[in-house]
Amino acid sequence: MDANPRGIPRAPFVEDVDEYMKTDSPEATLRKLSETVSKYRFMENSRLQQRGSLEQKIPEIEKTLDIVDYLRDRQGTSEPIETLFEVNDTLYAHATVPPTATVNLWLGANVMLEYTTDEAKELLASKLTVAKTGLKNAIEDLEFLRDQITTMEVNIARVYNWDVKQRRLQREASA
Amino acid sequence: MSSSRFPLLQRKEERDAEVTWEDQQRINEFSKLNTRYERLDDEYKREKEEDEYLDDLIMELELLDDDEPINYKVGDVFIKMALEDAQARVQRDKSRLSTRVGGLDAELAATQAKMDDLKKVLYAKFGQAINLEKS
Repeated sequence: MDANPRGIPRAPFVEDVDEYMKTDSPEATLRKLSETVSKYRFMENSRLQQRGSLEQKIPEIEKTLDIVDYLRDRQGTSEPIETLFEVNDTLYAHATVPPTATVNLWLGANVMLEYTTDEAKELLASKLTVAKTGLKNAIEDLEFLRDQITTMEVNIARVYNWDVKQRRLQREASA
Repeated sequence: MSSSRFPLLQRKEERDAEVTWEDQQRINEFSKLNTRYERLDDEYKREKEEDEYLDDLIMELELLDDDEPINYKVGDVFIKMALEDAQARVQRDKSRLSTRVGGLDAELAATQAKMDDLKKVLYAKFGQAINLEKS
């Protein structure tokens, strides 16, 4: 079946409702169609969460990159950097940081590694690229899912209208 | 049953206008553009607000004494730096943000224009049977 780059299947478009309704009862068909919509909605939800978490992560990486850049620029000087350092939430203390050629990056899973500022910059920049690509893909998926959900909703409306019309025709025939 | 906001062919409204694959694609496109518009608009509002904060900040910095270093936040830490260094950073952030705001503004306008075009085509064919308005 036709699918998008992340393997989300394309929703089938009902070309001809009369033809489509020949196999199953209207109730069964409507049930089947709504089930498909729920599956798409489930995927939509998971992509929304993904998007949300990336939208938080990206500014964080950018912030880290900003301070690494600052430290990198200060490397040539011998003057220490005078800071107000966050010791805890809302608690800052004066700290003097001598010019440094290395920084420690928290990699997760209880691991921290020391990098030169150049390496750190490179690593963070590549993480930023990955996160931005992920966000772009999540948005693409969400727009693709929107398309499929709309197709399914229109399918449902058309089957429903078809059923209403059939019932009316039957009533008129028996009257 | 499922209650989507739009666009959806109205139930109960019995219409004989057949939905072709081209129509379906137009309906999908409209729905997609509409979600895109909302997403971009949210971002636009956020960035616009930030942009205005930076304007205020630029004004405030103007009023400060040149000789006094200030504490300016870089990452999570406040760094004592010369006023002009802080101003340069603010200016850099400001120009990035203004570019982004301008870009979003243009994207929003383009999205709206495409939606308006689709609306005309879809209403011409389906009339009352379709609802393309925000509820």
